[in-house]
Amino acid sequence: MKKIQFHLNGKKETVHCPPAKTLLEVLREDMGLTGSKECCGKGECGSCSVLIGDEAICSCLILVGQVENESIVTVEGIGLQDNMDVVQEAFIKEGATQCGYCTPGIIVAAKSFLKDIEHVPTVEEIKTALGGNLCRCTGYQKIITAIQSAARNKFALSGEA
Amino acid sequence: MIKTSEMQVVSPKSLDECLYLLNDQEKNNRLIAGGTDAVVRMKDKKWTPDIWINIKGMNELRYIRKDPSGIHVGPLTTHTDIVKSKLLQDKADVLTFAAKEVGATQMQNMGTLGGNIGNASPTGDTIPALYVLDARIELSSLYGTRTVPIEEFFIGPGKTVIQTDEIITDIIIRPQDTSEIGIFEKLGPRKAQSISIVNFAASINLDKEGHHCSSGRLAFGSVGPTIIRAKKCESMLTLDRFDKSLTHNISKVAWKEVAPISDARASSNYRRDMASALLERGLLRLMKRWENK
Ligand SMILES: Cc1cc2nc3c(=O)[nH]c(=O)nc-3n(C[C@H](O)[C@H](O)[C@H](O)COP(=O)(O)OP(=O)(O)OC[C@H]3O[C@@H](n4cnc5c(N)ncnc54)[C@H](O)[C@@H]3O)c2cc1C
Ligand code: FES
Ligand code: FES
Repeated sequence: MKKIQFHLNGKKETVHCPPAKTLLEVLREDMGLTGSKECCGKGECGSCSVLIGDEAICSCLILVGQVENESIVTVEGIGLQDNMDVVQEAFIKEGATQCGYCTPGIIVAAKSFLKDIEHVPTVEEIKTALGGNLCRCTGYQKIITAIQSAARNKFALSGEA
Repeated sequence: MIKTSEMQVVSPKSLDECLYLLNDQEKNNRLIAGGTDAVVRMKDKKWTPDIWINIKGMNELRYIRKDPSGIHVGPLTTHTDIVKSKLLQDKADVLTFAAKEVGATQMQNMGTLGGNIGNASPTGDTIPALYVLDARIELSSLYGTRTVPIEEFFIGPGKTVIQTDEIITDIIIRPQDTSEIGIFEKLGPRKAQSISIVNFAASINLDKEGHHCSSGRLAFGSVGPTIIRAKKCESMLTLDRFDKSLTHNISKVAWKEVAPISDARASSNYRRDMASALLERGLLRLMKRWENK
């Protein structure tokens, strides 16, 4: 057991747990944040994506002992029902989710991707940026549309484009 | 075997502290950087150290800089750092192309150059690029440092000359000439995150018009126990006008020069065919890029 501190969704948190537990297990079991999902457990599907700093990473492949003092943002930190992010709103509006298992990871990956760009991304750009996120239901079309629509709304809100 | 719940994670604050930890041979410990190989192996119960020495946050080993001895890339530099580096885009283009092919965004954000080398997979994508850039790997222990040329570094799949008390502390590469241009080609089952079936890196010196090649380096991954520098193919680069028919002839020699095995991902003959095709496609693309430069 080890005492580990980090910032989670803007709040300082302390957990006592085995340090070789994955961050994903800690988020789900110790922090009660079940938005991030485990599917493959080995970096292939992206359903466990969270932000560290502002980069998307797979929380199934990082040990909690490696994130001491880091700032972590999960899908819950991006927005909940009453304070949804433009990306989340776009997913609802475009119907870009079916079973929903992949959705939190895709929202996280899309959020970090949109932070880095200042234009409405092309289909190819989205495919490259989100190549690490698998979805077995939607066929991706609506996900891509939702991300483009989120980008449009984001720029409309910030007056950039 | 130790349970995951009993493993320790120790994060040294400095390189010196890390070297002390590594020097303690009584303990069964292993370095962990981005964790993208290490945690997968831990879950498969293949790597079960008592202590993970976590170097992920050790920023003194995360840098990209140039000096008269070459370009220095710190082992904790992530693939994303490499892709974004102006210096590497300009002076080591082939390494940026290779890093761009390492898995998808999340893996590029997590995975490090030192980890790709330390993992020593014959499929590691940055490794053929490091071969054509004549990389030298600096290893440090409590007793000093030594520098090993990349050709002597890997001794088999998953095996390197790194001793248990050593850590990679620097990767030194040769900056490309202004007349030099590189390319990286990869064939894998899934575009965004897949282990290579065959990969290929080239860095070649061309005259202004791109009609003649004065020298060049070619390296293949996944077609032998370690990376193969295709020296026979290299010697053909300068034989004739650098054009389609020359590259076609070189690709035929490549078929013979590689020594692939058959495994679950592909048969030996398929790998030979693909090595040959990647070389031809790569060199043709390289010519196109040179024309547009
Ligand atoms: C889904 C997925 C897709 C992948 N796709 C690719 C791909 O397309 N191409 C590819 O090449 N790889 C791929 N990989 C493998 C992996 O991401 C890379 O090899 C990565 O560069 C490893 O870096 P790391 O920092 O995560 O290493 P870690 O997992 O932290 O470490 C790997 C090994 O290197 C050792 N090590 C780390 N740093 C040092 C150091 N400074 N000195 C000495 N030893 C050290 C560790 O002890 C360990 O043995 C993939 C992995 C996953 C999970
Ligand atoms: S659960 Fe982490 S990538 Fe699939
Ligand atoms: S909505 Fe079901 S996996 Fe994507």
